Amino acid sequence: MAVSYEHKLLYRHEGPLDMENLPYIVQTMDRLLHSEGLRPPFRRKVVSALIELAQNIIRYGAPDEVRPPLLSLARSEKGFVLTAKNLVHYSQEIFLRSYLTNLMEMSRDDLEKLYNTTLTEGSMSEKGGAGLGLVQVIFKADEFSYELTPADEQYSWFTVKASFSPGV
Amino acid sequence: MSDLSLSENLYIEPTFTTPEIRFEPSKQYFFIGGNSYPENSLKFYTPVLDWMRHFVEKHSPLPDQTIVLEVRLEYFNTSTAKVLLDLFRLFETLQEKGQPVRIRWVYLAEDTEMEDAGLDYQVAVKVPFELVPLNE
Repeated sequence: MAVSYEHKLLYRHEGPLDMENLPYIVQTMDRLLHSEGLRPPFRRKVVSALIELAQNIIRYGAPDEVRPPLLSLARSEKGFVLTAKNLVHYSQEIFLRSYLTNLMEMSRDDLEKLYNTTLTEGSMSEKGGAGLGLVQVIFKADEFSYELTPADEQYSWFTVKASFSPGV
Repeated sequence: MSDLSLSENLYIEPTFTTPEIRFEPSKQYFFIGGNSYPENSLKFYTPVLDWMRHFVEKHSPLPDQTIVLEVRLEYFNTSTAKVLLDLFRLFETLQEKGQPVRIRWVYLAEDTEMEDAGLDYQVAVKVPFELVPLNE
């Protein structure tokens, strides 16, 4: 059976995610992209997005040993697709939908303005986030999508997909 | 690292997720290099910013010497990007006190993403900000 080129999985981490194993995941993904012949600016886009998505999971994801988060990188026809999936408490859904819908409707110019304004005038959260991670991922990705699907009565699966094309 | 403000130099060893920090006032040379994606950038950089604020407050300007901050980062997260701007603002304050300063943003020549990040800072900060591309 032929493996679909559009969905060739290059890397998959499904398990506990913390600041202890994140450097290993970052290094592995960087080496993988290097071995695929990708140059530094492209690797930086993808790996920086990985770091932001992973740290959002570490800071805000619902910890659940039985249903841990997932990070993956796949090759697609146009380039590479980074996927981050984790459980979130249902109370976070309304915020996430509203925040992401707003960001995804913005033009690139407006996203850049928001990034620069938040960088220069925004404040840091208690957990050390700057409110810039998803803005940067959406700005740098060629395509971005998300899904929130019920996992049980209290939690939902939050899945983010960011696509990057080396030629763009 | 309990009382950084009393040290003449500031040195923090690098880890996989945090950079080497080497601030050496006697050499007019300040350096940040490596990865910077701590989980909580504010927590990691607060002692650095406190040390720098103390230095700015106590420093007597040396008009014939330039204090250089060299930034040579690999991967860094967006919260680090924000804290770096706070650090650069302290170099602005140092300059306002009459101390010549210069920030050197060092990156791989082909890494246009890092060049763009440097260009954004160059616009945002009011001190001489030099982009230094390196060939591998």
